Amino acid sequence: MRIMVKLFASFRTGRFQEKALDVRGEARVREVVAELGLPAPGILLVNERHAGLDDVLHEGDAVHLFPPVGGG
Amino acid sequence: MDHAEPAPFRPESVTFVRCTIDLADRTVRLETLRCRSVEDVLGGIGRSLQLLAERTVTDAYSPENPLIVNTGLLTGTAVMTGLRTYFSGYSPLKHSDLGLPAAMWAAGSDKFGARLKWAGIDDVVFENRSATPVCVVFAQGPDGPAVSFEPAGHLLGLDTHQKIMALHREHPDGHFAVIGPGGEHYDSVYMGAVALSTENQLKSGEDKCRFAGRGGMGSLMGYKNLIGLVATGQDRMPSVTPAMRDVNRDLVKPKAGGSTRYQPVRQGGGGGTWANLEVMQAFQAAPENNFRPTGHADVERMFRSNVEQDLEIRSEACYRCGIRCHNNVFSRDPDGGKTFIAKFDYEPLNLLGSNLGIHDGRQTALLVKLADNLGLDAISVAVTVAYVLDYNGRHPDRALFNGATFGQYDAIRELIVMTGEGRLAGIGRGVKRLSRGLGETAYAMHVKGLELPAFLPETNPGYLFAIAGGHMSMQTQMLLAKEGRTTLEQWTEVITRLGLLQVGFDAIGLCKFTGIWISNEVIARAVQAATGLELGAEQLERAVRTIYLRGLALEWRQGYTDAEYTLPPQVFEHPNPAVRLPAFVTRDFVRNLKQRVWEAFGPELEALALPCPPKEPAC
Repeated sequence: MRIMVKLFASFRTGRFQEKALDVRGEARVREVVAELGLPAPGILLVNERHAGLDDVLHEGDAVHLFPPVGGG
Repeated sequence: MDHAEPAPFRPESVTFVRCTIDLADRTVRLETLRCRSVEDVLGGIGRSLQLLAERTVTDAYSPENPLIVNTGLLTGTAVMTGLRTYFSGYSPLKHSDLGLPAAMWAAGSDKFGARLKWAGIDDVVFENRSATPVCVVFAQGPDGPAVSFEPAGHLLGLDTHQKIMALHREHPDGHFAVIGPGGEHYDSVYMGAVALSTENQLKSGEDKCRFAGRGGMGSLMGYKNLIGLVATGQDRMPSVTPAMRDVNRDLVKPKAGGSTRYQPVRQGGGGGTWANLEVMQAFQAAPENNFRPTGHADVERMFRSNVEQDLEIRSEACYRCGIRCHNNVFSRDPDGGKTFIAKFDYEPLNLLGSNLGIHDGRQTALLVKLADNLGLDAISVAVTVAYVLDYNGRHPDRALFNGATFGQYDAIRELIVMTGEGRLAGIGRGVKRLSRGLGETAYAMHVKGLELPAFLPETNPGYLFAIAGGHMSMQTQMLLAKEGRTTLEQWTEVITRLGLLQVGFDAIGLCKFTGIWISNEVIARAVQAATGLELGAEQLERAVRTIYLRGLALEWRQGYTDAEYTLPPQVFEHPNPAVRLPAFVTRDFVRNLKQRVWEAFGPELEALALPCPPKEPAC
């Protein structure tokens, strides 16, 4: 199945900003993160809602991944 | 082998040195005091808030208001980020509706605090005020600390960097804390910052100060005619033992919740707090035009990748800190050289940039430099100027000051210059006073009289419960963006448990960038490795809770009512549809949240014999 992945801030460095990815059916977010070689995200959204690494993805899902952030 | 339980830690076994200086008659009293509690042992605001609670102060600019300059237990040790100096007193800026000044503190890094500690002094309490401008010098004498006074008239009018470099020429082995023109004009500037020298600054000659900005502690110094502090002597940094090496590794490594996130991108971090801008903008929640995001892409021009096209960015660190979280901005000169402009952290780059309608990296860097040189708290001056720009856009027929509106760089620059030079009390006394004077408070971005950091109030009801800087004394400012939490249960839990623990960093001497996600067990190991004290993790947490609750109770003692624990009315009356985060902060939500938080804190306050919270929540 095909999903859209958008990367933010330092996650984009050396990768991409937005890209369609083909993944196996019922893949989890964790597998996408691993495939992209990313460390654990600070924020992850699926279809603009906060999600977890073990959430199951579906055809057409939009996955947004942010690096850990904090401070001010 | 005997496995007996270790004896419980006794605070009375620890002493600290307090130096009380009467600036009026220049008498100095040095005392070795025995700690009465774990708060005392931790130091910093653990001690200063207790001292402030003993005073009755109705006017920040009165002889009764002390300025307390102190360090934490781990300041000057080999624990990474153990570089903090604290400035506490009743604030000229933060005040209750009754007009009473609130107890406040500000913190800054680099070597001044360590030098003070190595001179043998943990706390300095400045009483009264000097009749003439003065610098106080702390030295490592042969028989203990030595304190002397030097005239400081020749420093008046110099900016923060110039003052530090002038003192450096007079005391080549010194580190310094000074005020800028803002603090000198304390009568019309209530938001003066204290600038601290850095090793990098003294070696490079570039104006890379660090700042204890919040609450006008620089203005309080100015009132006392205290232009600068000097700590001279040799470095006495202890060597790093294997136990200390392990602690420092755990303070950094991501699995312990450590500071790696602030490292440069090529070292696996996010590139300092600048990365927050991109995250908040993804939700259209990066402040723009006085905390009113437009839904457009202008803010993206301030993303690091865009600013780097015009300016050079270097990642640098405080003295002996392994986290290079500073993003120093340099211009590229025609001759191939680089000229330092300013340090970009999320707060100043947003509040002196997009929040003023300026989306140009160079212009923003120049405004950051200006505020720093003038010794103004970047957050307070930026937020008050943003209010002025907003007001002028709404009322072109009766515009304030020079009539500046959003995006007008030259006019905005003029406002900041005039404020720092003491010529615009309307801005210099902060947004609460200005907006109340104009009778237009709905979009004045402060809570309890302190200007907001660069996180929208509609995303952070935790601001109500911050007892000093809005994002420095209640760690909830990114909770909504990070985790999407919107329920009363979730917010009550985080405010009354984890969020308040942030104030512990302003006691113990560590930088907040260590992060509240670091477990108390790691901090307890750091204490053991640095001092040999067997302070348990539970004792640490209990003491930090007590420090926070004491600060909260001090607000009520200074006249704060339940009604003042609220957010700018615009949040409730005109929710911003451009923000792509859940809009859950209603008046009812705030009322119910307060009720739950007060209920949670009530029994603890009662047990500590501290004033209890107001009974009738109102919004």
